[in-house]
Amino acid sequence: MKTLRILGLCLVFAGLYACGEADEPAGPPDTLQRGLPTDAETLDHHKARSLQAADVLRDLGEGLVGYSATGELIPAAAESWEVSDDGLRYTFHLRDGLRWSNGDPVVADHFVAGMRRLVDPETAAVYVDLLSGIENAAAISAGDIPVSMLGVEAPDDRTLVIRLAQPAPYFINLLSNPSTFPIHPPSIAEHGDRFARPGRLVSNGAYKLAAWVPGSLIALTRNEHYWNNAATAIDAVNYHVLVQDTAELNRYRAGELHITSTVPPDAFAQVRNQYGNELHVSPQLNIYYYGFNLTKPPFKDNLALRQALSMAVDREELVEDVVGRGEPPAYSWVPPGINNYDPPRLSFSSLSKNDREQRARHLYRQAGYSEDNPLRVQIRFNTNATHKKVAVAIQSMWLDVLGVEAELINEESQVWLANMREAEVTQVFRASWVGDYNDAHTFLSILQSGNGMNMPRYENEDYDELMELAAAQSDPKQRRLLLEEAERKMLSDHPVIPLYFYVSKHLVKPEIEGWGDNVLDYHYSQHLSFKAAGGD
Amino acid sequence: MLRYTLLRILGAIPTLLLVIALAFLMVHAAPGGPFSNERVLPEHVEEKIEKKYRLDEPLPKQFIRYVSGLVQGDLGPSYGYRDYDVDELIAETFPRSLRIGALAITLALLLGMAAGTVAALRQGSWLDKFVMGFSMTGLSIPVFVVAPVLVLLFAVKLHWLPAGWTSQTGISRYVLPVITLALPQIAYIARLTRASMIDVLGRDFVRTARAQGLGTATVVRVHALRPAMLPVLSYLGPAVAAVLTGSVVVEEIFGISGMGQLFVRGASNRDYTLVLGIVITYATLIIALNLIVDILYGIIDPRVRYR
Amino acid sequence: MSLLDVQGLTIRYGNDTVVDGVDLYIDRGESVGLVGESGSGKSQSALAILGLLPRQAEVSGSILFDEQQLLGASERELDTFRARRIGMVFQDPMQALNPYLRIGAQLRQILRSHGGTDKAAVDARVLEMLAKVGLPDPDRQLRAYPHELSGGMRQRVMLASALIVEPDLLIADEPTTALDVTVQAQILDLLEDIRDNTALLLITHDLGVVAGHCEHMIVLDKGHLVEQGQTTTLFAAPGHPHTRTLLDAAPRVDRGDVATSATGSTILSVSDASVEYRDLTAVRKVSFAVREGETVAVVGESGSGKSSVVRAMLGLVPLSAGRVVYAGKNLEGPVERRLKSQRRDLQLVFQDPVSALNPQMRVRAIVAEPLLVHEPSMTAAERLERVTAILEKVGLSERFLQRFPHQLSGGQAQRVAIARALILRPRVLVCDEAVAALDGSVRRQVLDMLRAVQADTGLSIIFISHDLAVVRSISHRVLVMYLGKLVEAADSGTLFTAPRHPYTQALLDSVPVPDPVVVPKRAPLRGEVPSPVNPPPGCVFHPRCTKAEARCGSTAPSMRDVAGSSVACHFPN
Repeated sequence: MKTLRILGLCLVFAGLYACGEADEPAGPPDTLQRGLPTDAETLDHHKARSLQAADVLRDLGEGLVGYSATGELIPAAAESWEVSDDGLRYTFHLRDGLRWSNGDPVVADHFVAGMRRLVDPETAAVYVDLLSGIENAAAISAGDIPVSMLGVEAPDDRTLVIRLAQPAPYFINLLSNPSTFPIHPPSIAEHGDRFARPGRLVSNGAYKLAAWVPGSLIALTRNEHYWNNAATAIDAVNYHVLVQDTAELNRYRAGELHITSTVPPDAFAQVRNQYGNELHVSPQLNIYYYGFNLTKPPFKDNLALRQALSMAVDREELVEDVVGRGEPPAYSWVPPGINNYDPPRLSFSSLSKNDREQRARHLYRQAGYSEDNPLRVQIRFNTNATHKKVAVAIQSMWLDVLGVEAELINEESQVWLANMREAEVTQVFRASWVGDYNDAHTFLSILQSGNGMNMPRYENEDYDELMELAAAQSDPKQRRLLLEEAERKMLSDHPVIPLYFYVSKHLVKPEIEGWGDNVLDYHYSQHLSFKAAGGD
Repeated sequence: MLRYTLLRILGAIPTLLLVIALAFLMVHAAPGGPFSNERVLPEHVEEKIEKKYRLDEPLPKQFIRYVSGLVQGDLGPSYGYRDYDVDELIAETFPRSLRIGALAITLALLLGMAAGTVAALRQGSWLDKFVMGFSMTGLSIPVFVVAPVLVLLFAVKLHWLPAGWTSQTGISRYVLPVITLALPQIAYIARLTRASMIDVLGRDFVRTARAQGLGTATVVRVHALRPAMLPVLSYLGPAVAAVLTGSVVVEEIFGISGMGQLFVRGASNRDYTLVLGIVITYATLIIALNLIVDILYGIIDPRVRYR
Repeated sequence: MSLLDVQGLTIRYGNDTVVDGVDLYIDRGESVGLVGESGSGKSQSALAILGLLPRQAEVSGSILFDEQQLLGASERELDTFRARRIGMVFQDPMQALNPYLRIGAQLRQILRSHGGTDKAAVDARVLEMLAKVGLPDPDRQLRAYPHELSGGMRQRVMLASALIVEPDLLIADEPTTALDVTVQAQILDLLEDIRDNTALLLITHDLGVVAGHCEHMIVLDKGHLVEQGQTTTLFAAPGHPHTRTLLDAAPRVDRGDVATSATGSTILSVSDASVEYRDLTAVRKVSFAVREGETVAVVGESGSGKSSVVRAMLGLVPLSAGRVVYAGKNLEGPVERRLKSQRRDLQLVFQDPVSALNPQMRVRAIVAEPLLVHEPSMTAAERLERVTAILEKVGLSERFLQRFPHQLSGGQAQRVAIARALILRPRVLVCDEAVAALDGSVRRQVLDMLRAVQADTGLSIIFISHDLAVVRSISHRVLVMYLGKLVEAADSGTLFTAPRHPYTQALLDSVPVPDPVVVPKRAPLRGEVPSPVNPPPGCVFHPRCTKAEARCGSTAPSMRDVAGSSVACHFPN
C-alpha cells in the first residue's frame, strides 16, 4: 500500500515534468542574446505600440526606408525615390529581388495593402494618424470613405506612389516606422488578425520568427530570402524579456547576454567603473518634463508663476546628483541631435544660479505669492523610483528658493495617465515624450492646439500658425527657421518645464561589432556581428 | 467518500462564481483601461477598439457575456497580447509555473519535514537551535533579496548555474528558482513540523510504541509521522497558493515565462480577460487543493473518514 | 535472584522530588501490586524502569533487571529489553493505542522490530495473540482501527501487544481503571489466565484489585516507600499508619452499614422519562422518585443512560417523553426557561472539579456567583458572610477564599464546587461521579461531609456513580440502569444483600473486594454492553444473561414489585 503511494507520486511528478519540456529553443551557439525590458505585446505591426515591439519588428520587417547604425536615413526596401516639386507626390522604386521569408516576392501592392490596413478604422491601429498626411487618410480613419480611396498606389510591382494632402518635409522619416511596413496578403487571408504568431508570421526583413514564449523569449532566425541576406552576419537573435533591470545585469555579468536594454540606475556608477568601454551612453530623442495644467488656476493665465517655477529648478544639480546617469539637462523642448535643427534655449539658461533664483523670486511675487502667501501645489507622477527622487528634489528646490509648498502625489500608471488626460485634478504633472522620427516636428507637433498628446492643453494661435507655415515650407533652411521660431515662442510661454533628456544606456560585450550609438536608439541586428574568433 | 467529493465539487461552483464576479468588478473599477496608454489614441480609434472588444457595453451585460463564454469553455481574447487568446496564454505559462511550484513544494516538504523532525527529536540541542535559527532567517529574508544574492553567487561568480531561465534548457535552470521559492516554505514547514512532532512525541501512543522497543527511527516513521503531518497538510493549501503567487517575484528575477508575471502585467495593463482567466485558474486550483487536502486528511486520520 | 531489583530509585523534576529512594524487587513469576494514592509516584517508578520518563526527569538509583543495569542505559540497549523482556500495559487504551493505524499493523510492527521477518509467521502470531486475549473475530479486527473497538476490546489488544513477544515481566499501569466494572472483571481474569509465569507488576489505587490478584504488595506515599510485604499480611496487620488509613478508607461492597430508608415525603418524581438523541435512545421510560433527605444512587455502566436521565431531569438535555415533577410542579423545557426557584433548588456537581471552576476566578468569587444571580439584593458583606459559612461547612477555612483553582488539590476543588452548589440551599443536589476522581481518604472526607450536610438540612442527593462500593456507603436507595432501562430499584439494605435482577447480581460480583481472604470471583458476565444505537429486542440484558429464555428475547419485562424491590425481569432472584 505504501509503495503504491510512492509510486503514484513519482508518476505524478514524471507527468508534471514531461508536461512542459517543449520549451524555448536555445539557438545555435553564436546566437545573439539581447535583453528586452518588457514583452512585446504583439508582433502585428499595426497593433503594436510599444518601443520593445518596434525593436523586434525592425529586425523582422523592413519598410521603404531605414536607418544606418549611426542613425542616418538610408534606403531600405526602396532603392530610390523622387519627390515632386510641390512636395505632394512621392514616387518610390523598389529593389529587385525583394522576398518574404517564405519565398514569395514582395511587391508594391503589399505596401499599399499595408498602409490601407494602417488607416483602416477597423484595424484600430495605434499609429493610425502617422500617415494622416496622405490624401484621404483622415477621412478614411474617421470612417467616412472606404479604404481604397487612400492616396497610395502601385502602378506596377516595383513602383509605389504616395500622394500627400499637404506638403510634409519630414514625411520620408515616417516610412521607417514599422507601422508602415508591408503586409503579406495570403497570411491575412488565411489567419485574419492572428497572423503574427510563430509558425504563421511571414516577414520581409533580415530575420524571421522562430519562436515566441510570451513573457520570456522571442527567438528570431535568419531570413534566407532577404535581399541583403549576404550582409547579415548573425544567424539567430534571442530577445530575452527581462523586466528586472538587475536581473538583466546579472545575466550580462554571467555571460548569458551580449546586449542589455538598460542599466539599473543604482548600479550605474559601479557599472561605469567596472565595464568602462562596454557601457554605451547616448542621448535620445526623449524628454523628461513637468507639465502645467493650463486650463485651471493657479497656472492658467499666470505666466510669471510658471516662469518662476521653471527658473527655480536647478537642472544641473538634478542631472548630476539626483538622476546621475549622464543625462543632459534640458533647456529646450526639442532634444539636441535632431537632423537639421538647432533648438533654441530658455531665456534664463545663461544666467548664473544666483541671478536666476533672484529673478525667480521676483516673478513669484509678481505672480501674487510670497513667503506669507505661499503657493500650494500638487505634483503628480507615476510610481517609479526615479520619478520619486526627481519630485522630491524639485519639491525641495521650490521650497528653498521660493517657499512653495508642494505636495507629492504618487499614482499608479493608469491612474496617472487618466488624470493627465482629463486635466481635472492635475496641476503639475510629470511626463515624457519620445520622438517617433528624427525631425523636430515630432516634438513640436504635440504642443499644437487640439493634439491628443498636448497634456498641458497649450493653445497659442501664433504657435499653431508657425507650425502650419513650416509644414508647408519645402525649403529645409526656411523650414528650420520657422520651426526654431515656433519653439522659441512656445518656450517663452512656459507651458512646460523641460527637465532633462533621456540617454540610452546599453552594455555591449566587446565581441560584438557594428554597434552604433544614435539618438533614435535603433540597433538593427543585421548591422551587428561577432568579432572573428582568435582576434583580440 | 465519493459522494462527499462530488458534493464538495458542486459546492465549489457558487464560490467560483462569486470570485469571478468580485474580480470582474475590481478589475473594471480600477481607473484606466486596456487601451489607454501614454500615446493617446485618437478618439474615433479608441471608440472603434472599445466597440470591437465590447467595452462600451454596460457592465452587467459584459459580465453575462463573459460568464456565458466561460460556460462554453471560452476565456476570451487577451486585450494585452492581441494576437493570443487567454486560454492559449494560460496554457503556455501555467504548466511552467505549476512545475516549478510543485518542485518547490516537494522540496520544501521533504527538507522542511526532515529538518523539523530532527529538531524535534533533538529538542533543546544545538542542532535544534541551529535548525530553528536557520528557518527563522529563511522566513525573514524576502524573496527579492535572496534570489539576486543566489544569482550573484552561483551564476555570476561561480558560473555553476545559469542566471536566467532562457539561458539554457535542461535541469540546471530549475535549481535556483526552485530553491528561492522553496526557502521560506522550508523554513515554515520545519517550524510547523517541529512543533507538531514535539506534540505527537509526547502523546501516550508514542510512549507505547517506545515501550514496545521499536527504536526511535521506527517509532517516528511508523507511529509519529502520520499524525505529525496533519498540521503541515492543513498548511498545504495556503502554502501552494503562496508558492504560486509568490512566484511572480521569482519569475521576474529569473525571466521565467510563468503565470505570475503574466498576471501582474495583465493587471497593470488592465487586460481584463487575461486577469479574470488567471483568477479563475488560481481559484479553481485552490479549491481543488483544499479538497485534496481534506481527502488526504481523511486518509491519514481514520476517525474523520466517514463524515 | 530477583528478576527485577530496584534500589534507591529517585526521580526529580527540577526542585520537585516525585519519587524518593524507593526499593522494590520482583521475583520470576511473581505478582506484585504497587499501591498508592495519586501523586504517590507509582506510575513514575514504573515508567522509570523502561526509561520512558520525559527528558526533564532526573533519575538516580539502580534498576537491575536480570542482573543488568537499566538505569542510564542507551535507547538502543533499552530497546532490547522493551517488549522482549519487559512488556507494559497502560491505563487508557484509547490514548495508548495509535488511532491512525490499524490494530494488525501495530501488532505486526512489534514483531518486525524484534526480528520477525517471515510475513506468514508474523501474521499467524498476531492472530494467535488476538484470539488468546479473547477478541471475537480476530481476522476482522486485524483491519480495525482503535476507535472502532470498545474499551474492553482495546485493552485486550493492549495486553496482546505487551505479551506478544513473551516478556519475563509485565507492568500494568492501572489497566482497568478506565473500564466498566463488568469489563474490568473480565480483564483481570484475562490477566490471570494469560500471563502464565510472566511476572506481574500491577499498579493500582484499587485495593480490591491488589487483594484479589497480587501475592505481594508495595505501598507508596508521596514518593516514599511506606511498606511492603505479602498482601495477606499487610491487609491483616498493616504496620504503617498510612497503610492503615488506606485500608480504612477503602469502601466495600460486601460489607458495611447501609443507611436506613428515608421517610420524608417525595419531592421529586420522574415518570416514564425517555431521552432521545439524534442516533440513539439513551433513556427508555424510566420512572423513579426521590424523597426529602434521601440519597438515591443511580448506577450503571457506559451506555446505561444514568447521566442522561438526570440531565434531562435538570433540563440540560431535552426530555423526549415523560414528565418530571418537582414540588408539585411540572419541570418543563430547557433549564434556561425554567422558573428561577426551580433552578436554584436543583444543583449539580460534576466529576472533574478543576474544569468545573473558572480558572480566572478566586474561590470567593466562584462560590459567590450563584448569589449574584438568585439573591441580587444581598450586599457584598452579606455575600462574604454566606460564602465563608458554606466553605466552613464543606471543611475549608478562610484562607481558601483568596485562592485560584490551580492552587487547590483535587479534593479541595471538589469541595469548592460542592460549596458553590450548596450556597443557595438547594433541595436536591445531583452528584455526577462527583468523587470518582478523588483518592480514598479524601473521598471519604467528602462523603462524610455530604452526609453531615444532609443530616443537617434535609438535602436530597442523587448520586450517579459506577462505583458500587462507594454507593453502598452513602445511599438510602439504589437504581440500577442498563442500556437506558431501569432494571432494579431497591433500598440499599436489600439491594446489596439480596439483589433480584441478574444484572445487579453480576455487577456486585464484579467488584473486587479489598480483602485477600475473599477469593475473587470469576467475571460473571461475558462480552460487553452493546451499543445503545441498536439495543437487543425484548429484555435489553438477555444476550448476556445466564438465565435468559426464549421469552426474554421477545418481550420486554416491566417493573414489578418483588419482596420490596422493584425489578424488571422475567426471572428475578
